[in-house]
Amino acid sequence: MPHEQLVDHLFRHQYGKMVSILTRAFGLQHVHTIEDAVQDTFAKAVLLWRDQLPDNPEGWLVRACKNRMIDLLRQIQASDNRLYKISGPTSIAIDAAFSPDEVADSQLAMIFTACHPSLAMEDQVAFALKTISGFSEKEIAAALLTKRETIKKRLQRARTRISREDIALIIPTGNELSTRLDIVLKVIYYIYNEGYHSTQTASLVRDDLCGEALRLCKMIIDTNRQIDPATYALMALMCFHTARLAGRFATDGSVISLADQDRSLWDDRLIRMGHHYMSTAVDGGELTSYHYQAAISAEHCKAATYQETRWPTILHYYQKLATLQPSDLLQLNIAIVHLEAGNHDICKSLLDNISPTALGNRGYLWHATKAKYYAKTGNQNAANQELQIAITGTTNLSEQEYFIKKLASLQAHL
Amino acid sequence: MMIFVGPTYTEMGLSPEEMQQRMGKWHLWSQSMEERGVAIKGGEALHDQVTRISGPDRVIGDGPFVESKELIGGYYIMSAPDRETVIKEAKDHFPDYDLGSSVEIREVMVFDQ
Repeated sequence: MPHEQLVDHLFRHQYGKMVSILTRAFGLQHVHTIEDAVQDTFAKAVLLWRDQLPDNPEGWLVRACKNRMIDLLRQIQASDNRLYKISGPTSIAIDAAFSPDEVADSQLAMIFTACHPSLAMEDQVAFALKTISGFSEKEIAAALLTKRETIKKRLQRARTRISREDIALIIPTGNELSTRLDIVLKVIYYIYNEGYHSTQTASLVRDDLCGEALRLCKMIIDTNRQIDPATYALMALMCFHTARLAGRFATDGSVISLADQDRSLWDDRLIRMGHHYMSTAVDGGELTSYHYQAAISAEHCKAATYQETRWPTILHYYQKLATLQPSDLLQLNIAIVHLEAGNHDICKSLLDNISPTALGNRGYLWHATKAKYYAKTGNQNAANQELQIAITGTTNLSEQEYFIKKLASLQAHL
Repeated sequence: MMIFVGPTYTEMGLSPEEMQQRMGKWHLWSQSMEERGVAIKGGEALHDQVTRISGPDRVIGDGPFVESKELIGGYYIMSAPDRETVIKEAKDHFPDYDLGSSVEIREVMVFDQ
């Protein structure tokens, strides 16, 4: 098998798979040892596969991980001086855990475990990225813009909680499934947003987080369980957003505004997938915030040119969204839509009702919007000032460059 | 002979993704060597457990005897027109210098019959 055919992220994805299956077979209390076993196996694979890949890399990994885990357990048991044989029913259980259905279920159970309500949201995210997505502590820290030590603590806290509260590796059923799924979707959405709005220039991290969120959501959909329509809506939302990612950045990594994007770069296949999931999402059941956000993103995808954007429709969805979960950031978005739709005065009064400090690290967007309002209404000097504030307020380099370019073009018109 | 010296990937805490990238680099290297006149004749990766037997009393000891950065992780035996070609090959193409690993080059003695 030629090396080039090794699937992108094979190791990372297999990591999550192996950890989930082994945890199913050996128990959650061993999750740390299991991670070691999988890590060891990959290190071995790297050396063995340097020159020649096995015909079936995945099959090789499955066997090797299983054997390594049994080795490690034996070592632990030997040092505990306990007699323990991995044979009979245990070994049958292990083999059964590696059947395709069980693999899918194990991964799903792992996602639900990571999102157990006893864990704090930040711990859920870290634990999910580590055990299901195969990110290292360092990679999680880089992706979430925190220190490695912090991530280490979060993971530690999650593991302690899981063992102390004896949390089981199961897929909840009935009402509990729906409540837990809510949290799962929140975690996936969080991971996606961290990637999408990545405040750093390393686009690799960004793509990885977005890709991971899509993969996790797809995993849930693919299990063919009776799941809430919100899952499909979130999937659609992420498809529509991701479809437009390629147009969002110039080759030098700088941000291109929606108005100036080359829409032929948008990914048709993903847009079609988005519509596909959306049609399932709206098939009965309540409409969630994911639905409205997906609908807004879909509107942008539908418009062949910026001028053809149906701002009133978008405004309608935003207002629906605002009744579901009112927030200042949403009000800012509504103000932006009004500005685009030419309702300058409404935009102004909405902006005046929001305090940029209440928006936290997105406060710069308020100033950027205000700048745009001033520019559109002919007050170049005021626009100038607001843009300068926006530039100092963002840590995202490509966005900073974008504002600086805007500023330059404004000043050229003065 | 190229001897690869340095800590193991596990010890360095490489993530699965990083390991896969490393593997890709090694593969590219071993695939492209022949174009530059260097052919791999053999080689192995080594486990890091070391047993050393020494002294007149033949004392058997288990390591570690050296720091992990000095541990031999594996080797390649290769044929090349001359020593310089192999040195240049290792200098220009060994993929793990950035991880603090190093390469030692030793010539295998050939005895005339």
